[in-house]
Amino acid sequence: MYFAGIDVGSLTAEAILLDGSRVVASATRAARANPLESAREVLGEVCRARGIAPGEVRHTISTGYGREAICAEGLAEENLSEISCHGYGAWCLVPRVRTIIDIGGQDAKAIVVDADGGLDRFAMNDKCAAGTGHFLEHMGRTLEVELGELGRLAQSARRPVHMTSRCTIFVETEVLHFLQRGHCRADIAAGVADALAERVAALARRVHPSRELAMTGGVAKNVAVRREVERRLGLPLVDLRFDPQLVGAYGAARLAAQRGGNP
Amino acid sequence: MISAGIDVGATFTKLVLLGEDRLLASQVVRTTGRVTEELPGLLEALCGEAGVDRSVLAYVGATGTGGTQVVGADFYEDELTCVGAAVGYFAPDAELALQLGGQSIAAVRVNGEGEVISFSRNDKCAAGTGRFLEMMSQRLHQPLAQLDALAAQATAPQDVSSQCVVFAESEAISHINSGVPVPDIVAGICASIGRIVASQGRRARDARRFTVTGGVACFESVVRVVRQRLALDFVPFPENPQLAAALGAALLEGDDGGQA
Repeated sequence: MYFAGIDVGSLTAEAILLDGSRVVASATRAARANPLESAREVLGEVCRARGIAPGEVRHTISTGYGREAICAEGLAEENLSEISCHGYGAWCLVPRVRTIIDIGGQDAKAIVVDADGGLDRFAMNDKCAAGTGHFLEHMGRTLEVELGELGRLAQSARRPVHMTSRCTIFVETEVLHFLQRGHCRADIAAGVADALAERVAALARRVHPSRELAMTGGVAKNVAVRREVERRLGLPLVDLRFDPQLVGAYGAARLAAQRGGNP
Repeated sequence: MISAGIDVGATFTKLVLLGEDRLLASQVVRTTGRVTEELPGLLEALCGEAGVDRSVLAYVGATGTGGTQVVGADFYEDELTCVGAAVGYFAPDAELALQLGGQSIAAVRVNGEGEVISFSRNDKCAAGTGRFLEMMSQRLHQPLAQLDALAAQATAPQDVSSQCVVFAESEAISHINSGVPVPDIVAGICASIGRIVASQGRRARDARRFTVTGGVACFESVVRVVRQRLALDFVPFPENPQLAAALGAALLEGDDGGQA
């Protein structure tokens, strides 16, 4: 019995297809201007990968940007908030996880789930780009380094620089100054990761994070940010052994299975 | 007596020559990494324009974020102290000066003598600062100096909901892509800055009359919104408001502890 989760974010769109509670296909694509197109694309991709028709999916849940429109269009039966989906997804992967930090392209959330993976409390920043994926995007562009390379580059830093600002715009200026003064990209990338981690840790503290802490969303792929978040919070991050960018879609799919009658 | 004031700001560097407490000449250039090397030449040129010799200057006062690096200045004074001095001299009725800079906004409470009583400043976040306008100027491929004229042509200003410059930039780009006329987008940005500035101004609770200074104060479309939103009487700054801090540096004489 097939279930699906669709997560359309500001930068990327993902879908997960489950057979029962087992992942049988996943898709990630750059988000289009229209979330409905993104949803159609990723849902089509996972169905094709499994060789089934979209009609064979018993229950689908949409989450993220435009989740309601996706539902209204009939691409999903239900829609749920990213907060619920990321929390539940991480909990399904490692049930001892209680705090989930989800850093998306345009916002960041710190989520606390109960023993059953249900939402207990959360804090969100969607007002300021510092502490979101947007921040890394900007810095990657300024440093002329691929987003996916920033973390590894930062790990090779020997003398990390320290950013005095937090605002994305002002850190960008600092990055330019460091480049002009001849600091190497690795050292600057490490400073960037720490500046982002400082914001993320401040958000996490608002929910009083517990020891079993996990990070989801695209930024969680950045090893340097992960390490700095751990250092600043004094808590180790649980390894979910799953693509952190897909956790929202996975949570949506697992919730679809739960609510759509997976025996 | 003739004195000079140099304000090395985050975005622009301003030079003024003041003679008998009257503005003789002024110059505004973009702050570059080499601005400190360019300053002696710029000051020389300014003296030439005013028809005075560099040697007759009683003193050169420096201010602004880069002001401490001005070689040959007789003293350095804090930007807000200078703004206070300029407001006290040129707009003495104002009890509040909103200093709208390239990277910060400040609300400065001043007394009639141009002394700063108190201030609040946002320099942590680019929202509401000139950086917002600079970013728009780059995105829209329009010179910064043209933005105010563009905003004046707006027929239906496009509301910008995000305060964060980065998010507002994304908003503006999607408006451009969906065909919203450029003047309407620029007017929306200016209104957004005006709202943020007004809320900074509201922190000074006991002021009755205010003025606006700094480069962004040259934007009518911003100032209009500030005036609408702030229930205080407006006192115009009679000189170019962008020069306020430099004028203050030229007025201060460095006699109150500012001697460098």
